[in-house]
Amino acid sequence: MSKVSKLSLRRLLLANPWGFAVPLFLGVMASIAGVALLGISGWFLSAAGLAGVLGTVQAFNYFTPGALVRLMAILRTAGRYGEQVMAHEHLLGLLRTLRLWVWDQRVAKDAANLHQQSRGDLLQRLVSDLDQIIRWPLVVMLPWIYALLAYASVFIVAYLVSPQLLWPMAIAATLHLIVVPFICGRYASHSVHIGQILGTHRRGRFVSLFSALITLTIRGHWQAYSERLGQLDKRQKKAEVKMQQSISFGRLASYTITVGLLLSYFYFLTDYQSNTGTLALKTGVHGTWFVALILCVLAVNELVLPLAQSFVAQGQSQVGIRRLNQLRSTEKSVSATEQHALAAIESIELKQFRGYHASSGLGNKPISMTLTSNECVWLRGNSGCGKSTLLASLAGDCLNEGQALINGQLIDLYDNSAFQEKISYLPQASYVFQQTLAANLRLGAEESKDDVLWKVLDAVALGDWARTLPNGLNTLLGAQGRDLSGGQRKRLVLARLLLRNTEVLLLDEPFDGLDSDSIKQICHSLQHEYKPDILVLVSHISSPLSDNARVIQL
Amino acid sequence: MPKQEKAPKQPRQGRVKSPELLFLNEWASRQSKRYRLVQLLGIVFTVSLVVQAWSLANVFSDMVIEGAFSVSLLLIALSALLIRALASFGRERLSASASRSIRYSLRKKILSHLTHLGPSRLRIDEDAALSTRVYEQVDALDDYFSRYKPQLFMVSLIPCVILLAVLPVSFIAFGVFMITAPLVIVFMIFVGHKAAQANRRQFRVLAMLSNQFMDLNQGLAELKRLGRTGQAKQRLSDSASAYQRTTMGVLRLAFLSTATLELFASLSIAMIALYLGLGLLEQLPWDKGLSPVTLTQAFFLLLLAPEFYLPLRQLGNDYHAKQKAEAAATDLIEIFDTPLHTTAQAKSNTETSHLSVVKTHSTSLLTFLKLSWQEDGRSRLAPITNHISEGERIWLSGESGVGKSSLLHLLLGFEEGYQGECFVYDDAFSELDLAAWRARLAWLPQTPEWINGSIRQNLLLGIETPTEQALQEALVKSQCDDFVNALPEGIETKLTELGTGLSGGQMQRLSIARALLSKADVWLLDEPCSGLDEDTASAVLNTLDRASKGKTLLVVSHDTHPIKWADRHWNLTHGGLHEQSIEAIA
Repeated sequence: MSKVSKLSLRRLLLANPWGFAVPLFLGVMASIAGVALLGISGWFLSAAGLAGVLGTVQAFNYFTPGALVRLMAILRTAGRYGEQVMAHEHLLGLLRTLRLWVWDQRVAKDAANLHQQSRGDLLQRLVSDLDQIIRWPLVVMLPWIYALLAYASVFIVAYLVSPQLLWPMAIAATLHLIVVPFICGRYASHSVHIGQILGTHRRGRFVSLFSALITLTIRGHWQAYSERLGQLDKRQKKAEVKMQQSISFGRLASYTITVGLLLSYFYFLTDYQSNTGTLALKTGVHGTWFVALILCVLAVNELVLPLAQSFVAQGQSQVGIRRLNQLRSTEKSVSATEQHALAAIESIELKQFRGYHASSGLGNKPISMTLTSNECVWLRGNSGCGKSTLLASLAGDCLNEGQALINGQLIDLYDNSAFQEKISYLPQASYVFQQTLAANLRLGAEESKDDVLWKVLDAVALGDWARTLPNGLNTLLGAQGRDLSGGQRKRLVLARLLLRNTEVLLLDEPFDGLDSDSIKQICHSLQHEYKPDILVLVSHISSPLSDNARVIQL
Repeated sequence: MPKQEKAPKQPRQGRVKSPELLFLNEWASRQSKRYRLVQLLGIVFTVSLVVQAWSLANVFSDMVIEGAFSVSLLLIALSALLIRALASFGRERLSASASRSIRYSLRKKILSHLTHLGPSRLRIDEDAALSTRVYEQVDALDDYFSRYKPQLFMVSLIPCVILLAVLPVSFIAFGVFMITAPLVIVFMIFVGHKAAQANRRQFRVLAMLSNQFMDLNQGLAELKRLGRTGQAKQRLSDSASAYQRTTMGVLRLAFLSTATLELFASLSIAMIALYLGLGLLEQLPWDKGLSPVTLTQAFFLLLLAPEFYLPLRQLGNDYHAKQKAEAAATDLIEIFDTPLHTTAQAKSNTETSHLSVVKTHSTSLLTFLKLSWQEDGRSRLAPITNHISEGERIWLSGESGVGKSSLLHLLLGFEEGYQGECFVYDDAFSELDLAAWRARLAWLPQTPEWINGSIRQNLLLGIETPTEQALQEALVKSQCDDFVNALPEGIETKLTELGTGLSGGQMQRLSIARALLSKADVWLLDEPCSGLDEDTASAVLNTLDRASKGKTLLVVSHDTHPIKWADRHWNLTHGGLHEQSIEAIA
């Protein structure tokens, strides 16, 4: 699957056709063997019974059918086993492909739109949608093909019994394989769709309401609000009822069609004898074959029954695919501007430059300034004047207006990976990954040796702490760095940035929550061995670093 | 072991049911009426199964040997088939609706429990994760209640009925069934055990994968800045491949056991068919020249043979439904296990009498008398005795974990498990009209409570719509007017889940505006300045000072953010409450 291609069920099947073909083949084998097992046994029994009555036992070859019966039993089992193993192999492969597809979609999003889908929504997509989708070949496609081929083989038996039977067979097959599943799928698909939408909506409402639980409760309005949550639940329940109804009715219809088919057999192949009240076989119809046929039809019935359910599942897969496709980024062209590699940054000139947030339009007042090599700048201003926003847009994370010239060349900073390669930006909320300490650091420079890592940890005053860890650099850091304090987290991310050794360093409140010794240590590192060419600092704490800095008041 | 058999009813004897199973059974028993009906239909199903096999067998043998058969037998056979269809239709509908009733009422109960837990719900998990429990985990019980539970009955019913039906017909077939059935069951248990392990492992690994994805996704901005999205993709790909490999190893084993089960079923059917065929041909090695069964009986046995194994195989398929349900139940039980703190109520009432006598400050709005709070033997709040008068503004400080937040939660009416006394004027807190008391409160926590909606909707959350003028006044008084009016959409700007670029200080100001609008005269604030830098914090505190004149305030704040304008300063320690003078700090 290519990176940004649209998902579709067909594409999923073609993603790995062999992975799908092998379980299909095995499954077909198992299904037909299952039908044949009953059919042959039936024929064998009746033929044997007849031979016993007619006294032609000696001439009856019972070895071949006996062996066939055993062969079918083994084929059925082996086929089922092989099918399950191969199908799951295929399924897990699909899961991997899909996850990576989702990841590609996320990466393709530009920085400001990255959080368009909230966290809970994304999780829901990942867990339930992927689940629905990967089940599709297993639950929908394979059973349908099995039923189709089983029907085809029964057609042959029916033809051998009497060509007349082909018509009712054809009608029953159409009803079983196409009409009933289609109607069920159609009837349920609307509810499936509604159910999925309600699901997302309900979750959003839940999170939203519970985040204001106390305020709503003490205002005495919780009841009214939570009732609306109950309403959503009720609607969801209705959709669910409809879905289950269509499955149950579909099964019932399939059963009825089978009974109808059997009735038609008897209508075509027997004559009513009113004197004895019995049905007699028409001449030329072999009772033994007829028995085999009926048993085959009963076996096919078992294969047809799950189809109603599987086509409701198809609706679920389609809704899942549609929702996943919403993740696709369409506005890729915006950021796909020419991003050829930049030379080392020696100067940054801003003209009437203003960073702002896409959603609120809030940001700093337009500013003009020039930053040159070997400079340290301290951005200051009152709370809410947009220092952080300016820094973020300078890092290409936030939208901007005005002009930015790098080395005298006009460049669009926003989401520009060539530019971001040359800078390091420490945001206010720093993120630590659930990996080892070393792996987190090596995100800055992949090939760093352990001693380099220790050196940088010392530079940010984390060395002593890291040395107390029993596993040292291999310590696994918990979810969102939960076992780290805010200051430690910040310093760890700073260490990661220092390893990158870029010319420009942008720091947003790096000293928040740190003691003065650590601050001194970090400033010392930033002024000596880890000194960047250009350093821009936003901080409300004065430090040795800011003492020597050029102050720019916003 | 005869000894064990003699005392089967002894509690804790034999299998001890896990709390998950007890939980599931308890909820299932609320729908016992429906489940009984389902069982009744199951009996109808089984009986028609046998009738169908018997009548079809007759039709077949007559057809083969005489070329003619009775119409009534055929009609019986076909109507038995139809009755089976109807019975399973009814079973499906009933089980589905039983499962629905259980799940939706369970969900309702969880929701109301969470509501009553109030702030302590966050001790279980964060809201987003709780929503997964309330919706996905509850729905994960569906297969258990709608399929596994009814199937459990069928598994014992159908084989027993078939065995009974077969017994008078053929001892050999009966023997084959009798021998294979326990084998199948033994394998089932074995397989079930293996499958359970495989399932658990799969659940864990899958959760880990999701977790990894979410982790990388949350740090995506950082990864993009570092230019490491490719490596992250590689990591995702590697772990997915590793997952595929290990899972397939486990699954192969699990499927192999299922396949053995299948093989038993298939071979037994083949064996019976062969035995019957040879028997009819009078060619049985030990019985030459003799037919042990008639053709009718042979067909009867052949038709019943697959049905004998079918429910067992189905139960094997549905086994994962049980696994899934148990895993979900663990999470749900945890919610119910978080107590509502009503147990200590009785104890505090007994102390009321003698403490009421000694109470002194009945003119005060709030009086605490040896108010303390112990939970699981751990002290969450040391006994405190003090009072707050109307219009007093009190700064409460103390190290973390000393019970400052607990005291606020208690005053909000979400915690009842306290000891000692708390009075609002002359009324004991436990006998208070909670709604009326809460109407006087405004709640300003560390991270203000916001819903998805506009600033206006958030300000007016749960209150009567005030006049536009009152709204503007509140905005001015809380110093929100500048930045709110600077927004392109002004007060109609949406506050999305992740914030819109409003700073922490601005968010706190908005919650001050909300408190002003609510007309509440008792404000409870839990560290309104945490996460704010010093300049912003002091600005917010100044705003708070101006906006809260004349209100009764209880402000929890660390020493790093002293509240100099407070009337009194309480310092809470593990030893109790110490009143300090404001001037000493300022």
